[in-house]
Amino acid sequence: MGYVLSLLILVPLLGSLVTFAASSLGGRRQSASYIAAAFALATVAIAAYVFWFVYSNTPAPGYYALTEDHPWIALPGFGVDILLGTDGLSSPLILVSGIVGVLAVLSSRSLIDKREPAYYSLMLLVLGAVMGAFTSLNLVVFYLFWELALVPMFFLIGVWGGDRRKYAALKFIIFTFAGSAVMLLGFLALYFGVSPSTFDIPNLARAGVPVALQYLPLLAVFVGFAVELPVFPFHSWQPDAYEQAPAPVNALLSGILPKFAGYAVIRIGLGLFPAAAYDYAWAFILLAVISMFYGAVVALLQKDLKRMFAYTSISHMGFVLFGAFATVASGNPLGIEGAIFLMFAHALAVGALFTLSGFVEKESGTRLIPKLAGLGRRFPVTAALLAVSSAAAIGVPPFANFIAELMVISGGISAYASTAVTVLVPVITGGYFLWMLKRVVIDPAQEAGEPGEAADVSRLDAALVAVYLVPLVLLTVFSFLVLTPAAPVAQWTANLVHGAKL
Amino acid sequence: MADYILLAVASLSVAALGVPFLQYFARRGNASGYLVIAAVGVAFLAIAANAASGSTSAYPFGSLLASDSLGNLFAMLTLGVALFVAVASLSLVPSSQTANSPFYYSLLSFAALGMVLISYSTDLLMLFIAWELMSIPTYALAGFKKGSAASNEAAVKYAILGALSSATILYAISLTYGLTGTLGIAAAAASLGSHLSNPVAGIAILLFVVGFGFKMSIVPFHMWAPDAYEGAPTPIAALFAAGTKKAGFVAMIRVVLAISTAVALTPGSGLFTLPNVLAVLALATMTLGNLAALTQKSMTRLLAYSSIAQAGYILIGFVIYSYGQANPAFAQQAQLGMAGALFHIINHSVMKGAAFLAAGLVILKLGSGSLDAFDGLGRRMPIAAFSLAMSFLALAGVPPLNGFWSKLMLFTSVINTPYAWLAVAGVLNTALSVGYYGWVIKRMYLDEPGGDQSPVEEPLTMALVLGVLVALIVVFGLEPGPIISLAQHAVPALASLTG
Repeated sequence: MGYVLSLLILVPLLGSLVTFAASSLGGRRQSASYIAAAFALATVAIAAYVFWFVYSNTPAPGYYALTEDHPWIALPGFGVDILLGTDGLSSPLILVSGIVGVLAVLSSRSLIDKREPAYYSLMLLVLGAVMGAFTSLNLVVFYLFWELALVPMFFLIGVWGGDRRKYAALKFIIFTFAGSAVMLLGFLALYFGVSPSTFDIPNLARAGVPVALQYLPLLAVFVGFAVELPVFPFHSWQPDAYEQAPAPVNALLSGILPKFAGYAVIRIGLGLFPAAAYDYAWAFILLAVISMFYGAVVALLQKDLKRMFAYTSISHMGFVLFGAFATVASGNPLGIEGAIFLMFAHALAVGALFTLSGFVEKESGTRLIPKLAGLGRRFPVTAALLAVSSAAAIGVPPFANFIAELMVISGGISAYASTAVTVLVPVITGGYFLWMLKRVVIDPAQEAGEPGEAADVSRLDAALVAVYLVPLVLLTVFSFLVLTPAAPVAQWTANLVHGAKL
Repeated sequence: MADYILLAVASLSVAALGVPFLQYFARRGNASGYLVIAAVGVAFLAIAANAASGSTSAYPFGSLLASDSLGNLFAMLTLGVALFVAVASLSLVPSSQTANSPFYYSLLSFAALGMVLISYSTDLLMLFIAWELMSIPTYALAGFKKGSAASNEAAVKYAILGALSSATILYAISLTYGLTGTLGIAAAAASLGSHLSNPVAGIAILLFVVGFGFKMSIVPFHMWAPDAYEGAPTPIAALFAAGTKKAGFVAMIRVVLAISTAVALTPGSGLFTLPNVLAVLALATMTLGNLAALTQKSMTRLLAYSSIAQAGYILIGFVIYSYGQANPAFAQQAQLGMAGALFHIINHSVMKGAAFLAAGLVILKLGSGSLDAFDGLGRRMPIAAFSLAMSFLALAGVPPLNGFWSKLMLFTSVINTPYAWLAVAGVLNTALSVGYYGWVIKRMYLDEPGGDQSPVEEPLTMALVLGVLVALIVVFGLEPGPIISLAQHAVPALASLTG
């Protein structure tokens, strides 16, 4: 018993309160970013410790490290524990959330210029909720943190977003709430399913959810995951929300929040409903593959940078779902390992891209690709960063994304050989990113702009984008840091799913 | 042992009867308001002391009133609501009516007295008298804005339908007495369940459901509610939603849910059982309430329909409890469901109290209850807007606020039973409700004020009242254990378990 995970959640939540109170009462709005950055840095430090701890003390398959159990409601007939724990599935996500969190806060300094106290307070609230979601091993508490991340996100999009922010914010909250409400229904179905009644994931997994109780609840929780990831056809809120959210918020919204669902697919979808997951694997793989292609093809058609990145995200999140269910279908843990790795890599790559989209918009006043022509001449640093980040998103070596996609696709092929067709997705992705780069970076400006009107991205901001990308390069070499702790989880899940059918 | 309940009754009676005479002495200020607040406060403390003493004593003539934890819970709840309404009325009832304020507060005490007596009634006639004692003052209160045609219309509509519901209850009581020969609620309920071969028994049960359902504003007996809520002074709308409505629930629990029926209400129809009837009402109530709320343009009407929808959620607990009465296999679920229903009843009073009083403040200050007036409210009236937003988030069931836990318990209780579809309906309705709760929050915080942009002063008393209610929303959400435990202790023993 320690208090590391509690600290991981409480530091950003406390930071949220302190940031708001100190900067709004103190009267210096700008101080909010410093206070928030300090708390975000403290959070990432704890996250790094958690990651290192899990790497060096990887828990046995099916068990968790750094567990804490705080009874919350302990009454006869109804109990909810705040059960915290982490393993090789959640520790990479915790670390990457910490990194994206701190970078998002820091990159807000040059992009957000109104109502800073509330803004930074809400950012830290999201970060705290994210940490809570990734460490909670109780279904109700998991749901609680999941929802807790959505409400501040509504305000972050709705107050600080683009022109159509109100519409996007309302659509976002209605879709995600509806999805998570249906997901909750699936959780509730389990409560009286095992004896003694519990919402604790480890206890439910150990007792084994009765097979009859797996099918409908799996579909219910999947609706929640599918909206959050999002998976075609549950994605309609996502391009609007991603387009309208301010760029630093986007790093969290696109980099971290979909990982709730990716994480939950493996932890809850496969961990608690193995028999149903096995039977439905083909359907989920089909949906995932459709999503991968749909996202990639629609991204090709986008004129707005952010919308293009949004659809890229749909495509990449399809990979996560594909990987998870490839393992279910084949028993080969490679799929889940690849999914975990991809979630880590994707968070950083889209974080960099969306942050850059903010800088591009600030400099050129537009995000429309046709109007951005000549960016390479006018803002060479921005353009270079855009090219490098695009390479990361495409999965060009030395960025780790290619390892992840390779693992997922190989895992998929071992399940259904026909899914080899998915190798086309990275090809399409490469195609539309390169086309975008050609139009934005290489093509000359159509009309003579007023040079010197805006400055190129500042050194600090350029460094922030670079920091997103450095771990991706490092991971290519040190991939074992993520994959070693992930292996037992993947193997355990694979065995569980197959054991359920024997 | 002290008779705390009689102390509460005495305190409220003295205030109700004495306050009107104040107008001969103190024409100035809110003296009558302060007196009634004191009286309700004393009554609340007396009931709290009664709850703490764990007394189970019975009152006059042995069997009209009895003290139990269910009664304590509802008496404290309704008195708490009356207290908040009285305090808020100090600033919310416009000054042009202060000449009549002694009567306003007197009527409020009468209604509070009626709600306390309903909570403890163990006799059908006592229940009926207490019901009238609660209802009749509220007809007058609904029309208290004498100059307003809308208020008068609301009062008349409410009074006519209220009289109809009282008559329905009285008819049900007479049928019950004719069948069972007793007016004791427990004895009559036990006996009614065994008389179901006689169709009159089924009719009596349904008439009770209709009569109480009117006050609970469950669909299709809800038509009066939006008009009355809109026409009445807003604190009185809060009293309707958070107070008198709850009296309907306790009456339903005491009379209808005590009936253990494994068989159909009418001979020959297997589906026409009490839990099934309640389940259909629950579905209709939550769905129609939410759908109608989506289309409202006035805040009080929106709150009225939201209040109707919440009654639908509460009925889910009643359904499973009624089912568990006859099916011991579902006793665990039945107890969880009823505890969830009681918890949601408490939460709903807190949430709706906060929402109505905040809305009342806005209506008073801005002179309009239209949703347009709420545009950009976050900057103009930060306290009212924040209270509304918090109560809306809680009503929508956002964790970790109080409404989340009670809905969680309600939905969990039915999900592995034949009524699982109610949990599905409840969850879908919750998602639907985000449409209007989120819409109002959007208007308050994301939209710009339409005309006047200047900040509006918010009185200190209202800030305190709203602050306490919002604090309760948060505290009950973060530390729900004690309240759930209170609710669990108030769940009446299941007939299927006690034999």
